[in-house]
Amino acid sequence: MEAIGYAWSALTTTPAAFAAVGGVVWGILGGALPGISPSITMALLLPFTYTMDPIPAIVLLASTYVGAEYGGSIPAILIRTPGTNAAAATAIDGYELQKQGRGGEALGISLVSGVIGGLIGLFCLVILTKPLASVALYFTPPAYFSLGVLGISVIASLSSGSLIKGLMAGIVGLMIATVGVDPVSGVSRFTYGAPELLGGIPFILVMVGVFAVSELLVQASRPEAKTSGKRQLTIRLPSWAMLRRLRKPQLIGSGIGLFEGCMPGAGGSIAAFMAYNEARRWSKHPEEFGKGSPEAIAAPEAANNTVAGTALVPMLSFGIPGSNSTAILLGGLLIHGLQPGPLLFQRHPDFIYGLYSGLLVANLSLFALGILIITPAVWLVNRPRPFLMAGIFALIFSGIYSIDNTLFDLYLVLLAGLAGYIMRLLGFPFLPLVLGLVLGYLIEANYRRSLLLTGGEHRVFIEDPISLGLLLTALLFVVGSGLRDLRDSRKRMRERDSKN
Amino acid sequence: MKVSLKCILGAALVATASAAAPVAVQAQDYPHDSVTLVTHSRSGGGTDVFLREMVKYLSNYVGANLVVENVRGGSGAKAMAKLATSPADGSIFYGTTPTFINTSLLAEPDYTYKDLMGVTNVFLDPQIVYVRSDSPYADLSAVVEAALADPGSVIFGVTTPGSLDRQVMEKFKALTGVTSPIVTHDGGGELLISVLNGTVSLGIGEIQELTAQLEAGEVRLLTTYTLDRLEDFPDVPTAREQGIDLVINKFRGIAGPSGLPEDILGAWENAIQSVLEDSEFKAWYEAQSLVPFYMGSAEYNAFLEDFAMQQQAFFKEYGIVDD
Repeated sequence: MEAIGYAWSALTTTPAAFAAVGGVVWGILGGALPGISPSITMALLLPFTYTMDPIPAIVLLASTYVGAEYGGSIPAILIRTPGTNAAAATAIDGYELQKQGRGGEALGISLVSGVIGGLIGLFCLVILTKPLASVALYFTPPAYFSLGVLGISVIASLSSGSLIKGLMAGIVGLMIATVGVDPVSGVSRFTYGAPELLGGIPFILVMVGVFAVSELLVQASRPEAKTSGKRQLTIRLPSWAMLRRLRKPQLIGSGIGLFEGCMPGAGGSIAAFMAYNEARRWSKHPEEFGKGSPEAIAAPEAANNTVAGTALVPMLSFGIPGSNSTAILLGGLLIHGLQPGPLLFQRHPDFIYGLYSGLLVANLSLFALGILIITPAVWLVNRPRPFLMAGIFALIFSGIYSIDNTLFDLYLVLLAGLAGYIMRLLGFPFLPLVLGLVLGYLIEANYRRSLLLTGGEHRVFIEDPISLGLLLTALLFVVGSGLRDLRDSRKRMRERDSKN
Repeated sequence: MKVSLKCILGAALVATASAAAPVAVQAQDYPHDSVTLVTHSRSGGGTDVFLREMVKYLSNYVGANLVVENVRGGSGAKAMAKLATSPADGSIFYGTTPTFINTSLLAEPDYTYKDLMGVTNVFLDPQIVYVRSDSPYADLSAVVEAALADPGSVIFGVTTPGSLDRQVMEKFKALTGVTSPIVTHDGGGELLISVLNGTVSLGIGEIQELTAQLEAGEVRLLTTYTLDRLEDFPDVPTAREQGIDLVINKFRGIAGPSGLPEDILGAWENAIQSVLEDSEFKAWYEAQSLVPFYMGSAEYNAFLEDFAMQQQAFFKEYGIVDD
């Protein structure tokens, strides 16, 4: 009861509700601009929070995070340009739907799934902070390694058609992930003396390159097609039947987001891609994935918005930021003299429940604001194609340039775009590449750390119970998808035989 | 609503500081109205917070309006390039940390620390060793004893591979003959988790990162790599007291473009000395366990050069850079 009192007084006596709405608007805008990550969007606001009360200040920052995680999916669906790392998974099927003239529907699914994910994340944050905080404590390097292996095991089932091409793309992704400072010894690898490469190649550059730039190149090489049929100009919220179908991928996405958010270092993009994978694995229509499946939007969007809530678990309960975005939130807390950690909940319950109620307002207003903002966005992408493409180029490059104000990043994006274009021509799938890139560091760093811990004994991967469980699951999936492929091809062969 | 009062006070102070600035300009005759203080840290990062807190008070002593600008990218390379190509007239400075020397040595940036000059040092961050509260080790000697008996039973956790704390642990091993493994992490937060869940036996870091866990009694300090014991933790012995001759200087200071004139250097040396005595700033930095350590320009430049030599030797010895 006391908690409700704190929450109510935060909403009525401080401008927390306004901060929540304002944060969501700002977040959607920042998230929608390619290159402006959620953390940059939040960092831009940070100086303004110095003079605010602590509750509205932190609500403003946390709501910006919520808005940005959703905003990234708008350009991902409409112009195949992920606005944030986490939205790259949404770009795959979202843009397919947009090409089929169902962009409004895709946006509706993404919005509903985002709001549901956000509410689930918030609910878990409020109810389960204590038990969830211990998730991070159970995960040791061997478990992190096996988590990465589970994520990457999906390449086998994702590369329908050509396993070899899928594996090749995955390995290229893993190779890109090795650029930068070696995670264990500190030796610079493949940086050729360029300080820009010390931190590795940022995911967002590769993703924007292979998804967006390659798409622009493909479009530019085609004569302007007559717009086929009528395009949806407004958002379309999913029907009840569709909502029922989406329930499973949304739950999968939120479940993954729940755990990924609680673990430092994992974060939204890994959650989104794992959610995409798992939704496909458990779907009744896995063949639609990659060709415009509504489930393929629901799962990653639910996942990354759940992370926006649960990422606060380690930040509030340990004072440990798991990502850049939560690091900025932590900075915001410290500026106001609030030291997150085990004692924060006892010392400042008014702050904690004020933050929760602000986040509730943020997630609810996300729904309304999402509907409002989508109509002009859809109108914008239905402008004549030459203008649109020129505009997108300008948007992408100014966004990327603004990350670090360096031309180097622009060359990297162009290079990635060119590589993506060639991959498309040769029929290589993108997803394994992106998976390799996103998970490569997690896998390598934790594999080597595990072996350091045991003095080179590989036994540790099966002795750690969490690690063993994850590895067995990965094995099960690989064997399962192998058997399914075998059965499908037998069936096809039989059908062909019976036709003849 | 105690905090909001503090905020208002803070805002009022900023207002007074800027209002007082013109007067101070006349008094000290600083040649610029506004001065940029560049940091490679992101907004809300450690150095950023420190600089923004310091300029609130420092503006008054310098006699100019100080503005903090975040120039990110290339682990400090962009910030160094900006400084090196700016005029050496006292209109722009840089907030230093060991990062700018490390990046100069690890990569081949267009401009390195050699294109800059030290102005003053401000703080040394104490590096401390911590363990989980229920750890069997009472002090460093116990750690060394256990590690010598069974190297695999003691695991040292450090933050990132190129960090100062990894070097500390490598030197510690060299000094004591211990061969236990050193496990690197992605940052202080990940390391803290590793210590809490028992993946590593001990961690090395900074007190600011542990404040919450120290208060909650989840971790305790084993030793500090400072010259003297810390004021806030008088019971924690230094490494030297335990016979391990290691003192670590993780510095925070001010640098500028090479060739700064004497009068500008003098103005900053005076201003930094004054701000360290400012009671409000003192209250802030003491709460953060920062140890003030003033060095004038000549001394600081020698210190930086010496630090760079040590880093270079370390990077070579551990194969991090080629000869």
